[in-house]
Amino acid sequence: MRSWYRNLDFPTLLIWLSLCVCGLVAIYSSTHGEAQEFLLNTVQNSFQRQLMWLGISACALVVILMIPMHWFIRLAPLAYLATIGLLIIALIAGREVGGARSWVYLGPFGFQSSELAKVGSLLMSAFVLTSRMKANNTSNSALIVSGILGLPALLIILQNDLGTALVFAGFIPILWLCSGVPLRIVGLIIIFPVIGYIAILSWQLALGFTAVAGLTAWFATRELKWATAAALVGAITVGTASFALQSVLQPHHVARIVSFSNPEADEYRAGVGFHLVQSKAALGSGGWLGQGFLQGSQTQGRYIPEQSTDFVFSVIGEEWGFVGGGLILLLFTILMLRLTWLAKRIDHPFGSLLAAGAAGIFLIHVCVNLGMVLGLLPVIGIPLPFLSYGGSALLTNTVLLSLALGAYMRRADFVLY
Amino acid sequence: MNKTRYILLNCAVTCVISILGLQLFRLQVVEQKDHSEIAHGNALRNIRVLPARGSIYDRNGVLLVHNVPEYTITLTPKFFNEERIPLLAKHLGVADSIINQSLEEARKYNPYRPSSSFSNVSFEQYSRIIEDSHLLPGVGTEIKQQRHYPTNARSSHALGYVGEINKQELNEISSESDSALYRQGDILGRTGIERGYEPWLRGVPGMARKWVNVYGLEVMAYAQGQADQKPREYYDIHLSLDSQIQEFAESLFVNKRGAVVALDPNNGEIIALVSKPDYPLEIFNGAIEDENWQSLISHSEQPLYNRATMNLMPPGSTWKPFMALLGLSEGLLGKEGGNTTIFCPGYHPIGRGRFFRCLASHGEMNVVEAIQSSCNTFFFELARRMDISSFKKYANLFGFGIEAPIDIGEQTPGLIPDSAYFGRIRSYEVEAAKMNLGVGQGDMGVTPLQLARYASALANGGVLHPPHLVKYLVNPETNEQIVIPDLPEPVKLEIDSTYMNLVRKGMRLVMEEGTGVMAQIPDIPSAGKTGTAQAPGNFEDHSVFIMFAPFDSPKIAIAVQCENTGDGSQCAAPIASLLAEKFLKGEIPPSWRTSVRMDRALSTKSQTLALTDQ
Repeated sequence: MRSWYRNLDFPTLLIWLSLCVCGLVAIYSSTHGEAQEFLLNTVQNSFQRQLMWLGISACALVVILMIPMHWFIRLAPLAYLATIGLLIIALIAGREVGGARSWVYLGPFGFQSSELAKVGSLLMSAFVLTSRMKANNTSNSALIVSGILGLPALLIILQNDLGTALVFAGFIPILWLCSGVPLRIVGLIIIFPVIGYIAILSWQLALGFTAVAGLTAWFATRELKWATAAALVGAITVGTASFALQSVLQPHHVARIVSFSNPEADEYRAGVGFHLVQSKAALGSGGWLGQGFLQGSQTQGRYIPEQSTDFVFSVIGEEWGFVGGGLILLLFTILMLRLTWLAKRIDHPFGSLLAAGAAGIFLIHVCVNLGMVLGLLPVIGIPLPFLSYGGSALLTNTVLLSLALGAYMRRADFVLY
Repeated sequence: MNKTRYILLNCAVTCVISILGLQLFRLQVVEQKDHSEIAHGNALRNIRVLPARGSIYDRNGVLLVHNVPEYTITLTPKFFNEERIPLLAKHLGVADSIINQSLEEARKYNPYRPSSSFSNVSFEQYSRIIEDSHLLPGVGTEIKQQRHYPTNARSSHALGYVGEINKQELNEISSESDSALYRQGDILGRTGIERGYEPWLRGVPGMARKWVNVYGLEVMAYAQGQADQKPREYYDIHLSLDSQIQEFAESLFVNKRGAVVALDPNNGEIIALVSKPDYPLEIFNGAIEDENWQSLISHSEQPLYNRATMNLMPPGSTWKPFMALLGLSEGLLGKEGGNTTIFCPGYHPIGRGRFFRCLASHGEMNVVEAIQSSCNTFFFELARRMDISSFKKYANLFGFGIEAPIDIGEQTPGLIPDSAYFGRIRSYEVEAAKMNLGVGQGDMGVTPLQLARYASALANGGVLHPPHLVKYLVNPETNEQIVIPDLPEPVKLEIDSTYMNLVRKGMRLVMEEGTGVMAQIPDIPSAGKTGTAQAPGNFEDHSVFIMFAPFDSPKIAIAVQCENTGDGSQCAAPIASLLAEKFLKGEIPPSWRTSVRMDRALSTKSQTLALTDQ
């Protein structure tokens, strides 16, 4: 037998490692610099814990690479069931951390059920989509995928973690795009978040974009019904969003959603806008080249809340500047483009979907997390893959990556299968 | 996956990343200035750096005043681990409940900031807590500086005490000049050198720019400290004071009130400046307890009062050399001058012996003999002949009745009667009052400092030096040396040197054959003059003495006042003589003369002022 690792995609592995190391550096800086003595005991050993989790993740990666792909196809339903079970256990017997009841403990060993749920959900979605692809009934499979992702999303909402639930929702159109779901339906569903986002900024602008969406739909399909559908979805979104912001939601919810567009305003600055003002200040303080390792004034002074977890990018931005932040963006770009390229080269639909799905999940995380850190999106607490402190997230993301790598490595096996 | 979808997915990735990248560029490069200003506003603080208050040394480099650390334990409740209360209690030697109580107080103040919970702990306790600091999160240490006085010489009035600045002073200073110089809680000198040299002892505070964290605590230096300003213009002070002499003088003053001033006649350096009773300067460290303060200011013997520069009493017979110089210079003794004699029948004829008595019937006396035997009749007659305006003029020449240009504050100009004063009394009393002045009694007052200056002018042949305590200042870091104060030029008195020599000869004879004979320094010729100042009321007379030695090239001139101890040779003379001997010889060899002087000096007591005062 030839070396099993011959077909392993080393560039992806290298980028994975680079991102993890960058994350460790940032976590080290935010917990082991001058700021260390002011930290709570629970945070002081973050770096060591993350290092330990990186070790565990590396082991998981090796193990997954050893397992033949068809096992995963068989295991997918089981994994999904386990995922749902875990989410329910967390809901009933879990521990509440940071407001979300998503932590499950096995003795001293705790993990976040909503993070691990991503693996089960992706496996199940890929399994269902590929098995039904033969039946060539893609419209139905679109609905089924929504269901598969919707159920954990619902449980996670019940756990009071809206941010992670949104990731599941955002994953739906990406999976549709990667599977055979017609593009017009994918396009239609994408109108919803885009117009919704613009509606938060300005409903007039959102209406304008609705018109653009309608016209685009007409030019793309030359069918009046699609154009109408696009315009309708847009209009409904604008209406719902505006109505929700004005009449349904409580003022403090509205403030949370709207404040990102103007966090410096007096009414937001000390409250909901605080994270963003501090995050922007840290990034600005970084400039081109950054303040240097362990030298970031905002990082070392702990001005940015959650600086080793959700706002880890602002630490990198301050201490390593635009050069460092840009490098992280570049690494993510290469990672995701590489994964889609792998997806294209994997012949078997299941493996291909795994790789594309992993890229999709990373894309959503990067988009939402960096959107938040850079002040483009409301503050939604989800981590930046491989960089934020958090063992469950690191393990989950590494497992997703190794599934893609495994599928690519064994792309020849699939043909026989 | 087909090609279209592959491209679409890549487009989505590229699109998202591009938007994020552009925004990153905007925040970090385009709007960099705006956001970094917020960052600086958040986290940059200017912190004042106070130089350590200057040390004070004596003329031989002996350390008189320096700073010692006071160890304080601070608690920061937010980070404190309550399970460690027993450990901290054990280290500090207090009960757990006390720690709990301090913790509660600190929490009320600010849970994120360290509170000074236990001040003045011992070094052992402090080190134990430092050693166990890894077990004691939220427990900090702080070192404050306190003034410490390592020698046995108290020198209370020369050195002066320090105290915390009060609100009023703070307002005055900040309205006058740089408000950053002082802040609430700073100490400043209140008396003596500490006050007179406050700007040099204190220096100009520097500024350190620090990054502070979100709790307001210092995290690290800004720009590696390159923008910091160092404290500057702070100095150690080197005094002309001799701590050995000072200590010895203080020890001789047991049970006595009074003062000693010893000067170097060649330059006006103050060798000793003692005022008794005094007080330990240590009690002013930190906030002085009210009880201490009340007893200090209400004590009948007034320990805070600087007798050396402020105590006014008549000079008694120590005034006679002055009168002799006045008489000779003004021609009151006729052409013969030094050879002119005045007959002493044991009293002055005016008043028929009832009011103007002499110690004995001296017979014919010239000026030298009159000084030697302290003949009152001779000086009554001189005073009778003098013009009151020339009296005032000569007194001022010798520094009486005016403030001396000394480099520390707190002095009184003294009282020398002038014609305006005489205008107020009835004409038939004028002559009597004048004659009284001739023997240094009556309505006049001089300070020990003035007497010492006068003695040193007699010693050096008529040069009046500005008396001063400080020789030079040294910056402890740069070793830069400056000479402060800018002393006024010494004044050469226009007194004929033959007259001066006659007076000096008389004073030498006082020590060798006259009233000061028991105060002779073995092997060292000296000159001196005893004096007895009449005290008002039913109190004992004050003992006064001036001297200088060695006679030919004087190195020390001393004036001593002892309150309510009887005549001049009783108490003041042996003290002055012992001090001069110790200064000149270093040690006083044991001898019969030594023990006589010591016995006299130590056994004399000042009459107590108030009977209620035990």
